[in-house]
Amino acid sequence: MAQEIKEAYLIIAMCIVEISLFLTYPAGLTGRVADATGGCLAGCGPGVWTGCIAAVAGVICFNWYRKKSANKITSTTTLLKNCRDYAAELENQVKDLQIQVQLSKRQRANTEAIIYGIRDAVLVIDDADRLLMANELAGRLFGFDFTNSQYKPVNELAGTDKSEFVDFLRQTRKSRVKATKREIRLSDGDKLKIFDCIISCVCDENKQVCGAVAVLHDITREKEISLMKDDFISYVSHELRTPLAAIMAYSEMLLDDEADDEKKKKEFYSVIQSQANRLNRLIEDILNIARIESGLIKVDKKPVSLTILIEEQLPMLRGFAEEKNISLSWGSGGQKPIVFDQVYADKDMISQVIVNLMSNAVKYTPSGGSVKIETGVDEIAGTAAVSITDTGVGIPEDQLERIFDKFHRAEATKNQVKGTGLGLNLVKQIIEKVHNGRVFVKSKVGAGSTFGFEMPLSRRTQLAER
Amino acid sequence: MNGKKVLVVDNEIHIVHVVSIKLRNNGYEVIAAENGAEAFELACQKKPDIVVTDYQMPVMTGTELVKKLRENEETSKIPVIMLTARNLMLEDQQKDQMQISAFLSKPFSPKELLRTIEDILYQKAVVAGKQ
Repeated sequence: MAQEIKEAYLIIAMCIVEISLFLTYPAGLTGRVADATGGCLAGCGPGVWTGCIAAVAGVICFNWYRKKSANKITSTTTLLKNCRDYAAELENQVKDLQIQVQLSKRQRANTEAIIYGIRDAVLVIDDADRLLMANELAGRLFGFDFTNSQYKPVNELAGTDKSEFVDFLRQTRKSRVKATKREIRLSDGDKLKIFDCIISCVCDENKQVCGAVAVLHDITREKEISLMKDDFISYVSHELRTPLAAIMAYSEMLLDDEADDEKKKKEFYSVIQSQANRLNRLIEDILNIARIESGLIKVDKKPVSLTILIEEQLPMLRGFAEEKNISLSWGSGGQKPIVFDQVYADKDMISQVIVNLMSNAVKYTPSGGSVKIETGVDEIAGTAAVSITDTGVGIPEDQLERIFDKFHRAEATKNQVKGTGLGLNLVKQIIEKVHNGRVFVKSKVGAGSTFGFEMPLSRRTQLAER
Repeated sequence: MNGKKVLVVDNEIHIVHVVSIKLRNNGYEVIAAENGAEAFELACQKKPDIVVTDYQMPVMTGTELVKKLRENEETSKIPVIMLTARNLMLEDQQKDQMQISAFLSKPFSPKELLRTIEDILYQKAVVAGKQ
């Protein structure tokens, strides 16, 4: 019996070994060990067999449980794997979305940068006329701060004085027309400006209008230039035709023997000559400006004295001033500046500048007034200057900025005094473009004006040009 | 000598001069003014038969002169010829409103001006005769 118990223990021990081996090694190996164990048990007693049966049953039970557990483990692993795959997929999707968000942000920033960079006022509205986007110029024009105004109704932001624009914007969006264009007048601060307003409808992926973009291009200056051009054509036409009218009328009179005697005939010839000269001067002025602007003018620079140039022109201008009873004086306290070669310049051009400035001063000064010419040298700044001060009608401050513009004529006096608006522009072109100098003007309405120019001193110019 | 009075208004002395000679040589009496304001005063005093005026003048322009002449009962019927050296683009309606009898563009022929004056004065005389 004790032997049998020993054998049973042996078998149990071997089963334990078997189980241990199963846990440690794959199934194939376990089978081979079980066969070897079975071989060892041959020839044993019934007690031993009972133990063996129990051990085998144990092994079978254990194997069944192991398989069941293995199935459970397999399904949990699959689940875990699926979860991990799904998480990875989600993670990828999040990354994609993050990239898309970044791209969208960048695109929006680019769009904003483009809109902000446009030198026109740009507004974008949605399908309920609420503000979606606007650049700084639009904010300034309509008087709102975009960051505090987004999604607000555009009619509230624009104010009543801009109602024409708001109505146009709404009408275009509702009409679903691709784009419309209109000239609109809007107040910008205290100035009324003219805008070329283009409104385009924005469509979504279903081609439904979901908003509108308004671009307002300031054409005030272009309009002014266009008006100035019309004025110029009109003035030049007048200025060219007037002497031409005299030339043609007097010629016709001579041909028709309307001049009674030789004295009359000479008078007619003289008028024809003077009017032809007048015509020639005007044409020269126009051509000179065109030549300077195109850089085609021939410049003959030499060291010259501004003082001498003024003295040369004084007799002619003095006659003109005396006709109008205007006193002409030179220098403060009657002191004339020292005569020396002050500037390196084209003598004819600077003479023309002096004549233009001085004749303007006489033209715009009422009878009984005065015109004072002054010259000076600033050794420290290295400049020589000429200034001409009159007691004339003066120029309003808002027109001073444009007084040297081509064809510009002061509003208050353009019908009072003849001119083409070319004289001062020619002065500016000659001084600034040809001689690297600077023109200046000071004026007060009713008190008079000071026009002048300064140029680099002769030595400095020659050194620079060498 | 037809003795008709013509008021010639232009700030261009040469134009006034040449027109005056042409008209005087053809029997007209000429009164001259160098701007609209001066012309209006002379028109009220001298009652000219016709006015020949430039368009662009200092102090008072040609169109301003016509307006003043039309507003004044004594001068409202005086025919006006306007000389212009500008590209004057007046609508027909404006011309009718101002009752300008003729526009002559500078440069003009003194002979043409004379013919125009004669035509207008003849028509005026015909209308006056009918009335």
